[in-house]
Amino acid sequence: MSRGRVIAALILMLLSTATNAHLLNMTDLHFDASDPEAVLLHIKIDLGQSLLSPVDYWRAVNSDPAEQYALIAPAAGQLLNGMQILIGGTTVSGSLQSWSLEAASLEAIENSLSPQMAILSFDFGRLDISPTSEPADSSLELFLDEQLEIPWPALLRVDTSTRALPVSRLLTANDRRSRPISLIDNIETTGSSAMARLAISFQAWVPGLSWLAIGFQHIIPWGLDHIAFVLGLFFLSTRISTLFYQVSCFTVAHSLTLGLATLGWISVPASIIEPLIAASIVFIAVDNLYNDLLGRWRLLVVTLFGLLHGLGFASALSELMLPAENFYMALLMFNLGVEAGQLTVLALAFAAVGWLRGRAAYNERVARPATVTIAGVGTYWLLKRVAF
Amino acid sequence: MSFTKPPEQLRTFAGIACVAAVLLAFDVAFSAMAPARISFPLDEQAPGEFPAEWIHGSKSAMDNTDPPVQVHAYNEHTYILRENKAINYEGAFMYLFFGNGVAMLIDQGSTSSPALFPLREVVDGVIDEWQERNGQHDIELIVANSHLHGDHYAAWNQFVDRPNTVMVGLTHEEVMNFWGIDNYPQQIVTYDLGGRELVVTGSPGHQGSEIAIYDGWTDLLYTGDMFYRGRLYLEDWDAWVTSIRKLRDIADQNPVVHLVNNHIEMTTTPGLDYPVGTTWQPDEPPMEMTLEMLDEAVEATFEIDRPGIYIYDDFLIYNEIPWGYTTDP
Repeated sequence: MSRGRVIAALILMLLSTATNAHLLNMTDLHFDASDPEAVLLHIKIDLGQSLLSPVDYWRAVNSDPAEQYALIAPAAGQLLNGMQILIGGTTVSGSLQSWSLEAASLEAIENSLSPQMAILSFDFGRLDISPTSEPADSSLELFLDEQLEIPWPALLRVDTSTRALPVSRLLTANDRRSRPISLIDNIETTGSSAMARLAISFQAWVPGLSWLAIGFQHIIPWGLDHIAFVLGLFFLSTRISTLFYQVSCFTVAHSLTLGLATLGWISVPASIIEPLIAASIVFIAVDNLYNDLLGRWRLLVVTLFGLLHGLGFASALSELMLPAENFYMALLMFNLGVEAGQLTVLALAFAAVGWLRGRAAYNERVARPATVTIAGVGTYWLLKRVAF
Repeated sequence: MSFTKPPEQLRTFAGIACVAAVLLAFDVAFSAMAPARISFPLDEQAPGEFPAEWIHGSKSAMDNTDPPVQVHAYNEHTYILRENKAINYEGAFMYLFFGNGVAMLIDQGSTSSPALFPLREVVDGVIDEWQERNGQHDIELIVANSHLHGDHYAAWNQFVDRPNTVMVGLTHEEVMNFWGIDNYPQQIVTYDLGGRELVVTGSPGHQGSEIAIYDGWTDLLYTGDMFYRGRLYLEDWDAWVTSIRKLRDIADQNPVVHLVNNHIEMTTTPGLDYPVGTTWQPDEPPMEMTLEMLDEAVEATFEIDRPGIYIYDDFLIYNEIPWGYTTDP
């Protein structure tokens, strides 16, 4: 640190000694909306070192409740007036509901290294938001006025009935704004988009929808080897029925092993499955070069390869931990997502070259080069997965 | 699409081989250009060094010329930071662990103001330098805490708007959710910090959300505020007893080279601490502690049966004694 910076630090420290002598008595703000019908703000604060004199605080500690109220009411008023709480952009107000004052002795209160904390609870009534509220209407923001001096920093904790975890914010003498905190879900209000809200609405509508998207992603864009295999099926012949039979066998087979492996009934190491998947791509592509008709044995081979690919999907899915509470729904949705991904690949292939299938040069100019490329890519994956 | 002529077959298979060869060539070239993944083997003890002395304040704080944060590289992927005692008497230590693509900052000191205590600037500088040295870019920073006392997260806000940063949070629930601990404090979990294995467990006693971390690569056992050379303020004696014995068990099951922690409050004179609030500690002992000291703490758990101050050579146990009490005459 430069000498100037140290001196500036020391001057600032001396100026702030009265309220910033240490961090043991920092302030806790707990906004408790876990019961939306009775929202409370609990403030744990070293009153005798901040808003009350040590003598007044000691007197309050030793008084009956009525006297206590008279003694702490001004401090409670200072807190309420120096604090602005916005819910959905509207200021809400509270009132002192209860308090708990503790102190070992007047000396302990006077000793800044021996925090004697009070807890003041403020009632904010009913929280008027619902799970379907717009994020902007259901966010909490807390500001502490520049004039309010409390032992810093102040740790804000927000609990709601709809969030699994609390949210924490740190407020300091120079940073007195909490930033928006969503009270209805785990998506922060800041930066949430219309698309995100739409996704959340869908998620609420169909539990497990996100698993559909995850399944889709395992084909597009992450499942390049599965894409290559499906394209290998596509380029066998120009007949739609040929493609339909192959894709049907492949789908049934990989759904079967995906389910069995995810349930833990079968297990094959990825080190075995992954090279075999690559080999299946090479096989299908090379077979395309020798045949343009769908033989029964080809359907059998495609089915066997489907079993392999299903084990590959299961291996990827095992890293994601399906939720225990809706396991089967998530598995089903994942599988449907995979199917949707496959159909999208085929739709894109038709859009790209399907309209050329009737042309005489289709095989020579399109299908064969594509098949050779697929076989080359499969060979590359096979070598890489075996050798590296 | 069938073909039967040998030349045609030859051309086709040559084409397949070409595609595979080109892809392999690209793969090898990209692998050669990509930064090598850093390895953090558990079976070797990564060496490291502590400084000859830490910055320890000055007789006249006005004359202090030390940096606001001392940065010490214990080794190439492990940094220990100390807040200048002229800025805050706590002189808290902070830790920056690096893994592949990720860094973890444990604790954020005792001063909020970036003007006085530019922790983010310092941490960003260390990360930039580390990234350059290791050929990595845009690594993630995890901002975590040893426990939830204000002298260890005062500069937390300096990181909240930092890009590519995970703020673990300052509530017990957020902290345990991050580490994957759902049975605190008993559970022992393994956290993968970019290929660097950290063993994490609850270690309450000083504070009810404290964690201890064993780094299997360096064999450092990080004990935060629950065991250091100073006044061990224990709010829950029974919890601390369990925690300290658990640390001993971890040390029995894993090689431990040093115990590292958050403060130094002792002098080099056995059993003698600096007064609370001291901003100059010219006779500091090393921060790191030994397994023999841990054994002494374990022995203490069998000896102490009531609240009070108990003096040992390398630490003082404040068993359920208010913070402000000191051993000073």
